[in-house]
Amino acid sequence: MNRVIATAISVVLATAGCSSDGGSSGEGETAPIRFQIQGEPEEISVYRALVDTFEDEVPGIDVEVVEVSEEEDALAKLATSFAAGDAPELFIINYREFAQFAQREAIEPVGRLLEGAGISVSDYYEQPVEAFTYNDELQCLPQNISSLVVYYNTQLFKAAGVKRPQAGWTVEEFRDVALTLTKGDVHGLGIDARVIRAAPFIWSNGGELVDDPENPTRFTFDEPAAAEAVRFLIDLVQKDKVIPSEEEQAGEDLETRFTTGKLGMFLGSRRDTPKFREILGLEWDVAPLPVMGKPAGILHSDAYCISKGAARQDEIMRFVAFALGEEGQTLTAFAGRTVPSLKSVASSQAFLDPGQPPAHPEVFLDGIPHIRKIPVIPAWAEIESLADEILTRLFFEPDYSIEEAVADLNDQTRDLFGASE
Amino acid sequence: MRLSRGWGPLRFLLVVAVLVLFMSPLLFMFLGSLRVPGLPPPEGFEFLPDPMRERNYLTVFEISEMTTFLRNSAVVVALAVPITVVVGSWAGFAIATASSVARRRMVAASLIALMIPLSALWVPRFVLFKWAGLTGNLGSLIAPALMATTPFYVLLFALSYARLPRSYFEVATLEGLSPLATWRTVAWPLTRPVAGAVAILAFVFHWSNLVDPLLYLSDAGTYTLPLGLRALQTFDPTNYPILLAASLIATVPPVVGFMVMQRAFFRHIVEVRG
Repeated sequence: MNRVIATAISVVLATAGCSSDGGSSGEGETAPIRFQIQGEPEEISVYRALVDTFEDEVPGIDVEVVEVSEEEDALAKLATSFAAGDAPELFIINYREFAQFAQREAIEPVGRLLEGAGISVSDYYEQPVEAFTYNDELQCLPQNISSLVVYYNTQLFKAAGVKRPQAGWTVEEFRDVALTLTKGDVHGLGIDARVIRAAPFIWSNGGELVDDPENPTRFTFDEPAAAEAVRFLIDLVQKDKVIPSEEEQAGEDLETRFTTGKLGMFLGSRRDTPKFREILGLEWDVAPLPVMGKPAGILHSDAYCISKGAARQDEIMRFVAFALGEEGQTLTAFAGRTVPSLKSVASSQAFLDPGQPPAHPEVFLDGIPHIRKIPVIPAWAEIESLADEILTRLFFEPDYSIEEAVADLNDQTRDLFGASE
Repeated sequence: MRLSRGWGPLRFLLVVAVLVLFMSPLLFMFLGSLRVPGLPPPEGFEFLPDPMRERNYLTVFEISEMTTFLRNSAVVVALAVPITVVVGSWAGFAIATASSVARRRMVAASLIALMIPLSALWVPRFVLFKWAGLTGNLGSLIAPALMATTPFYVLLFALSYARLPRSYFEVATLEGLSPLATWRTVAWPLTRPVAGAVAILAFVFHWSNLVDPLLYLSDAGTYTLPLGLRALQTFDPTNYPILLAASLIATVPPVVGFMVMQRAFFRHIVEVRG
């Protein structure tokens, strides 16, 4: 499904091209600034609150929230409205997906507008800022910086007599804990068969996912260091059986298993936090990712992007400055879904909020120095969904070798990588 | 008679088996909608949830703009379905009564139009709707009805008109009836079951249309039911009872519509046979 949509989107973008006047086209000064966001109802209500607060403080600027539930829906809507020349003036997008828009010059580089809006980039974490830089220009202003952490069930840990993992714990210890926790219908560990889950292990072992992170042309996780990391993950599924099998996951996915107390550890980003907070009776915390050689993490980040040629950019920037300033970031931090990209708010009580789990939110901040990003190229969304399919086969098909998998994947993605050059 | 005595119970069991098979998703939806939200999903099969939470049906209206979504969807089907049936019927009648060359061309054109992937129409439609001032309002969802929603419905009508003896229409023409009058007095009354079938299909299509409102609407006040359900779908598994309650609310109108319409066309079949 994802791939069908991803392909449809790229076709829409490729055939129609992007009209350069993305913004509101001559509907007069009264038309609101359309702000497209994607998320669950609770997430969207946070942005509505943000918009309401802004409109109270700055009368005369009208922001209309355009809400979309699913990520693939949001991309389809954006791609279509861009192609038709009537895109929302402002939207939030993930760094793994924004390059296709940046390449077609559908985004108004925000870097040029920062000074006028009184925003200083140095107040923000540099990794997401770097991820949203394309053609040497900052395209969009990031709102969050998340990385991969180990969510764990504290009750299961206690029952098995396992102590809280400390920073720098090794993958061997990680595996031992998973083995200890696996009994009955409880599995010790849940790792989705996805590139964004495997990448930090590959990097931690000194390997590379692709040949050149800046200008990738092929996958290279069949080379020794990377292959060793992938093999470790495969063994967790096939040999140690600490990760539920494909059939078991089809019956009940990993996230659900974690919420029902049938999974000891679950690898996830910050966006899982508000969900887990809501589950009655679930006690959990977060721990850093285990280390294979040197610590490594993977960046998850979304940013505010302005459509190319949008009218009233100064007004849009006033809203962006508000949303990503102290007040706006504090508001979104309280909702729990994001790790603020504004350093001062990330280290404030709003984020390190002691009243709610996780008990160790600093884990999300401690990993930041080791965070790396996935390649930012226009065709990445499509490439990644192909890679996820191959990785799923690797996880669950014992006869499928890493060399074969990488060869298959490179066959399938050659043109896509080529198209991005 | 003797044959049917042995056949009777078997036939009954068969009907029950098919019924159970087709009703079970509805049944699970109903039972699931009564679970207390926030609890982990049940392990395996759970028949009657204990305790039952009928309040979920009220919660749906409290946490989402369900009333607005239902109203918007109702407006869309109330206009789009009749327009689809009438336009589709006209177009089908035109095809069926055209000369054989013209008919072949029109059928070919309809088939080609039918084969165009829907995603290829997203952008052209957006541009067209924008130009016509239909983006951002329900007009963008109703407008396709002016083209009978899909060429498939037109072909359905064309096929059913083509099965009527041509002499009916020729007589009507000789009597001096205009094409429209021929359609109204001769063709339409004879193919009412097809109209019923197209009405049901069009109802289900417009009622469950997700892509068009997603692409062409931007104000949550104009959103329709499928977008509302899509939002509830993002809930965690523990809150699925709410989603299931909303799904059941969304399913009732098509089910009722089908039950009303199926009487009409099954009666007709019985009449034709008798």
